[in-house]
Amino acid sequence: MDAVNWLVLVLIVLLLAALAFVVIRRRGRAGGVFATRDKR
Amino acid sequence: MKLLMHASQINGLPVVTVQGGEDVAEVRDVIYSPEAGHLVGLTLNKRGFLSGRRREVLPAGAIHAIGRDAVMVDDESRLVLPEDAPDDVAHPGADRNVMGDDVLTESGASLGTVRDLVLLVGSAGDVVGYEIEKVDGGRGYIPLPAQLAVSGSALVVPDITEEFVRDDLVGLGAAVDDFRARLGLR
Repeated sequence: MDAVNWLVLVLIVLLLAALAFVVIRRRGRAGGVFATRDKR
Repeated sequence: MKLLMHASQINGLPVVTVQGGEDVAEVRDVIYSPEAGHLVGLTLNKRGFLSGRRREVLPAGAIHAIGRDAVMVDDESRLVLPEDAPDDVAHPGADRNVMGDDVLTESGASLGTVRDLVLLVGSAGDVVGYEIEKVDGGRGYIPLPAQLAVSGSALVVPDITEEFVRDDLVGLGAAVDDFRARLGLR
């Protein structure tokens, strides 16, 4: 039973890490609309 | 064919080569010149759900056409490295993102906040106006050239802009010429 608990814990940690990776990666791809600097 | 598009509709569009039809990148940022009133370039992501940024950028002069469903380039060599691109395109300042900026008239009245940029695409990519979230919560459109200055957090527009706030894109299209005529720009 102890081993099963550990396995579940490891799986949850891995799942959270994968989720964080996807979120960070997707946010890194988000774009914007940029104005150039005024050159007058 | 020319059509009015929001900049947010261009974000995420695939970049496709005319010769070969290859899907080489995806649009990340839209960069425009408020002074000149046109698009100056695009920064890019690699294709794929989890792919990162693409180092190369796409200056406006290298764009063959911007359409509803894709940005067309002649071939992949039109994508240029940042060191070979105009500085405005290679390094858009993080503080220059206009989304969410306040729109203020010269006399200090707030018209709302910027929700999007409206471009006339098909060839060069002229910037014709902004979509704003009005102070009362509704959506509106103001024509450009309108702002006199883009600071880190606000667009300052002439007082007469208030008369040209429109509720839809069709209204904006009609208002742009009148607005420019009033400003003596045409």
